[in-house]
Amino acid sequence: MSSSTETRNPPVAAARGAATRRRRSVRATGRAPFRTYHLALYLFLVCFAFSSLSAFLWVFNASLKTNREFLTTAPWSLADGWRWSNYVTAWTNASIGDFFLNSVLVSVCATVLGVAVAAFAAYPIARVEFKVNNLVLMVFLLGLMVPWMVTFIPLYMTVDDVGLLDSRLGLILVYATYNLPLNIFVLVGFMKTLPRELEESAAVDGAGPTRTFLKIILPLLGPGLASVTILSFLNNWNEFFYGLVLIHTPGKMTLPLGLFQLGQAADYGTNWVALFSGIMITSVPVLLVFAFMQRHITRGLTAGAIKG
Amino acid sequence: MFRRSQRRIVIPFLLPALILTGLFFLYPLVRAGIISFEHFSRTGRTSFTGGEQYRKLVDDPSYTRALKNTFLLTFIGACMLFPPAVAVAWALHQKLYGESFFRFVVFAPAVLSTAVVALMWKFIYHPTIGLIDPALRSAGLGALARTWLGDPTTALPAIAFTVVWQGIGIWVVLLSAGFERLPVEVLEAGRVDGAGEWALFRRIMLPMLRDLMRILLVLWVVQSMQSFAFVQIMTRGGPFGSTDVVSTLMYRTAFDQADFGYAAAMGVTLLFVMLALTVIVNKVLKRDVIQY
Repeated sequence: MSSSTETRNPPVAAARGAATRRRRSVRATGRAPFRTYHLALYLFLVCFAFSSLSAFLWVFNASLKTNREFLTTAPWSLADGWRWSNYVTAWTNASIGDFFLNSVLVSVCATVLGVAVAAFAAYPIARVEFKVNNLVLMVFLLGLMVPWMVTFIPLYMTVDDVGLLDSRLGLILVYATYNLPLNIFVLVGFMKTLPRELEESAAVDGAGPTRTFLKIILPLLGPGLASVTILSFLNNWNEFFYGLVLIHTPGKMTLPLGLFQLGQAADYGTNWVALFSGIMITSVPVLLVFAFMQRHITRGLTAGAIKG
Repeated sequence: MFRRSQRRIVIPFLLPALILTGLFFLYPLVRAGIISFEHFSRTGRTSFTGGEQYRKLVDDPSYTRALKNTFLLTFIGACMLFPPAVAVAWALHQKLYGESFFRFVVFAPAVLSTAVVALMWKFIYHPTIGLIDPALRSAGLGALARTWLGDPTTALPAIAFTVVWQGIGIWVVLLSAGFERLPVEVLEAGRVDGAGEWALFRRIMLPMLRDLMRILLVLWVVQSMQSFAFVQIMTRGGPFGSTDVVSTLMYRTAFDQADFGYAAAMGVTLLFVMLALTVIVNKVLKRDVIQY
């Protein structure tokens, strides 16, 4: 194959790296030549994709039916017509609209707060020597290791003590806090890759450390900030457990909580299709975010899980 | 001078993060240890009980059942998760056509809220309006249809399947990264020596991925022993406690019975069980670093 000449060289580390890189660029553009066993792989992958897609399509289809149609027709029979009014009903009558706005408010605020606070905290840890850098980093990373089961009861009591129970502000602060460990971890990693001379030349030019951070370091963190922002947003948008524990008033619930409530009601009640419209309304934004930013998400995820 | 002026920013830059972490993470963490030794009466009074809560746990049949179900969920889930995840990652490594489409579809459920996925599958499993049973019946396989979540024998596997259905994309991505990092020379050498793709996979790739698999298995144990949302939404621990895991039992103990101390003791105990299990997994699968 194409790299057979390279493999004959003695396996010096540098040469191997170069070979891998060259090889990878070949692989990235070209498709493998077809072989018979690929048929089995395609079959396998198609089955897999089918199981994944059919669940989505079922929900989408159900969200366009009437309640009566939903109960009486076969689950895979197509809805007779695009009944978008289901979405309007769900938005207003089943208060999906309120949940949606709460979700937007909570996840946007928590994400911005979590990323901003993490960026400020990561800077001294990564770039200023103050004796206990690693200790401080360890304290933050503890959050990645301690299971939520140990802390959720005292957390509930603490949030109660500071008077933020059943409030969106409390939820925002808690979400931001629980985003911090991964954010700080990823951003410290990014900042350590920047050259030392940046700060030195900025200092020579008379910029103070705060100014250096805001004007020089921060703009260079683009990809890192993008990764942590997207991951935090997805986490906060989807978060269920802390919401369940900390929020009790229906008017303050986020989408996952609201849907859980609707789901409980649907056990006994009748309004199935509102639930399915709600599921669509919750899922489509994150699927869109994912579709456009797949690379950032998988990169942040690999960094967090393997090295963390 | 530059260094000193830099050092001035350390405290103010770290302060917001330290305040948040201290208040909502470190303080609760310390408090968890204290609470687990306290008894909460229904009126909200607390009294120190020493190890009483922990002693009670050992004889509590609902706790041992929950612990057993937690292990079972972890084990069944691992069996359902790893073989297909490795297969998909390997298939995607073959650079087939439509690779990015498959990657998208496999990963897509992972970005959905667990609440959404759990609700979705709760209805997919529904015996009359769901997707599975009507499909089986119309295919003439009505004998296989059952109330998946209402039957104590199938409820836990059904939940495990849903957990895997949502999460598998993440494991595929992590495994794919492992496949990409395999040294090309070794694989090429294998091909030159006439090894087929299956032999390559079995004799070269899998042994080289062993360390990654160990890490992923530990991650899975840690994650699945804490699963809460799926169980709470799909069955609430029912039918007859057959799906009750430690987290749902804890949640009920804390918020339905207001017994914070007992619930905290359950959490602390599970933490140690989990630590022990990860140490065992690591010990069993650990071996000398392979040279290549």
